[in-house]
Amino acid sequence: MNRQVWLASILLACAAAALGQVDSEALANSQQDDESWLMYGRNYSAWRYSPLDEIDTENVGRIAPAWIFQTGESGKFQTTPLVRDGVMYVTGPSNHAWALDLKTGRELWHYSEPVPGDLPLCCGKPNRGFAILGNRLFKVNMQATLVALDATTGDVVWEVESADYRKGYSNTVAPLVVNGMVVVGIAGAEFGTRDFIDAYDAETGERRWRFWTVPGPGEPGNETWGGDSWKRGGASTWITGSYDPELNLIYWGTGNPGPDLDGAPRPGDNLYSDSMLALDADTGELRWYFQFTPHDVHDWDSVADPVLIDVEVDGQPRKALVHANRNGHFYALDRTSGEFLFARAYTEVNWADGMTSAGRPILIPGHEPTDEGTLTCPGMGGGHNWHATSYSPQTGLYYFNSGDGCQIYHGATQDFVEGEYYLGSAMENVTGEPREGSILAVDPGTGDRRWRFALVSPPTSGLLSTGGGLLFAGTAEGYFVALDAARGKPLWRLQTGGPVRAPAITYRFEGRQYVATAAGSAIIAFALPR
Amino acid sequence: MRWRVLTLFVSLAVAAAGQELERSPFHGDEASIGAGKASFRLRCSACHGIHAEGGKGPPLNRGEFSAGNRDADIYRVIAQGVPGTEMPAYGTRSTEENIWRIVSFLRTFEAVGDERVDGDAERGEALFWGAGGCGGCHKVGRRGGSYGPDLTRIGRSRSVQHLREALLDPDEDLPAGYFVVKVVTRDGKTISGIGSGIDDFSAQLRDVSGKLHSFLREDVESIEREFKSVMPSGYGESLSDQQQRDLLAYMQALRGEESR
Repeated sequence: MNRQVWLASILLACAAAALGQVDSEALANSQQDDESWLMYGRNYSAWRYSPLDEIDTENVGRIAPAWIFQTGESGKFQTTPLVRDGVMYVTGPSNHAWALDLKTGRELWHYSEPVPGDLPLCCGKPNRGFAILGNRLFKVNMQATLVALDATTGDVVWEVESADYRKGYSNTVAPLVVNGMVVVGIAGAEFGTRDFIDAYDAETGERRWRFWTVPGPGEPGNETWGGDSWKRGGASTWITGSYDPELNLIYWGTGNPGPDLDGAPRPGDNLYSDSMLALDADTGELRWYFQFTPHDVHDWDSVADPVLIDVEVDGQPRKALVHANRNGHFYALDRTSGEFLFARAYTEVNWADGMTSAGRPILIPGHEPTDEGTLTCPGMGGGHNWHATSYSPQTGLYYFNSGDGCQIYHGATQDFVEGEYYLGSAMENVTGEPREGSILAVDPGTGDRRWRFALVSPPTSGLLSTGGGLLFAGTAEGYFVALDAARGKPLWRLQTGGPVRAPAITYRFEGRQYVATAAGSAIIAFALPR
Repeated sequence: MRWRVLTLFVSLAVAAAGQELERSPFHGDEASIGAGKASFRLRCSACHGIHAEGGKGPPLNRGEFSAGNRDADIYRVIAQGVPGTEMPAYGTRSTEENIWRIVSFLRTFEAVGDERVDGDAERGEALFWGAGGCGGCHKVGRRGGSYGPDLTRIGRSRSVQHLREALLDPDEDLPAGYFVVKVVTRDGKTISGIGSGIDDFSAQLRDVSGKLHSFLREDVESIEREFKSVMPSGYGESLSDQQQRDLLAYMQALRGEESR
């Protein structure tokens, strides 16, 4: 090879590498990038909508697996894969991750990190996905660490500890990259932790800011916690938020106060548990908050997707944030100010009789958990829990799933023991009344339900809507399903052989549309036959 | 601070002795007992009852335990499970300390003695396989039908109270997997039986003759799931009190030996 050809090859390689870099602009324009899936919610507004329309309501019945990747790992696969430049990046349970060749599904590299045996966990060892910036991938590990990986090799570039896992902290959230920072939440409220949202420098891993979701002494909101209960206040942040670049605000939901079911040790509203937070992206300072369930005693985390939609409410155009809460209500807020716009019950609710004009639930007495137990609807898991939702600008509908049914809530006083469950008792199912589920389509400007697809079991998967007029979902019994997004009618399904616990993604590769999802312990990519 | 010191002590003790401890290191410690109660309710109450009163699993609030009454016996059962029953091993799912806390919680119940059934197991056995007709649907060892739950080890896995309720009111607490599926076909026929599976698109069932059926929802008029037992109700009337006690005594004696 002569010198000129050699130099030209180097320059071409550099140019290709540069083209492959995911910069802030690429993230901001992710909704227009049909060949990639660059963040948890696909765009900063968390729509999980792709305009791709090669697969549509007419031909979806012919899609079939193009490849299947068997991970060989057990556990809950709840990941949203990322796609860029012919590679799919997938996280799995128990600190595993893979890079897969989009053409064949073959493994390019495998990352793993042992989970400490003494890690206190409430809910398995899932992980919900990577974030990406430049040629780096970012993921959390179960032991409350954040790692940056080289996207080409899977090698660790840096690793930081967010909190001490021995105190009950853990992490499962997919990070969100904003303004060169990696924003992550934390989990641990079932163990009496005090939780937060962190932002780390994507280049160095240095922490740039932290927002404590339970205010400390002297901070506004600390007065809503009796005594020193704020120290064990919980308010975890275990699902990815959204971001409005114009307002430079990050929106992130918070979880239950601790102990979950016993309100006696923590008199007050318990800010900012069960709330939506709007934080300045550069500083982490609180711009506004809205608390959905003050002084929660039913474990109704409010971590579900904060979805940003410009929509007409009561005849007025609003920059809205919509959110399906575990407490059984669908909410619309003004995302510039946090103003409550409206709330509508979407499943059976027996604990509140509507809302005040400010959005505070009007409580129906008799639903505090007791030693003997109280029947309350929805049950502990909701309502809509954490599973990814979707907004289709094509249909104008917002899609989310719901666990439907009630549970008996038992309360009991419990002393705090570091690293041990701090629940204040437990729930039990109602005999002869199995909890079921549904996929719902609502008008985001009114909360009116447009259709409901019933599920025999509480939902397990997230949702994806496409320009082909489709809504993709999965079921606990292993079906991967395409519904008509306008009417909710099933158009296609495949029994995958394992529970579908992840939301699907879609992308175009070599001119062909693919839809991919985790099912059981496998990743499956579907396409129309060539 | 008190619990911190205790936890340190316990950690050292557990680390040194592992499961060799005879007595829970948290014995009498209120904070640990509270944590044990919380863990019990989270992990154990679905089978043993929210107040440890028993259900699918034996009652644990009577101060006596079938596998032995020492703390170490209770620890062993929680950590290793009970083979041949639904009791799983928690040793790999929980820390040693947490299991000891549950042990300490269970030891707070005062001994009240195990419930005795004033019945004749031999007469119960004859009734089970004879006039009672139980063996037509239930298997013990290799004998009997398979439409209802296998009762080979039922005396190990169910409390007397639960067995009595199951006999007199079969709908009260269905065994896992024993729901009924009722299918109405397009030509108006109804087929029902024990559901092998049901989902959003299909159902599989086994009718009383043992025949397997599979249906797609799109091919039939309706598919419904019912949470009621196919076991006849009314044994409270058709069997005398003594016959009920005899049957319960027989079932309480079923410990799995018949399968050998």
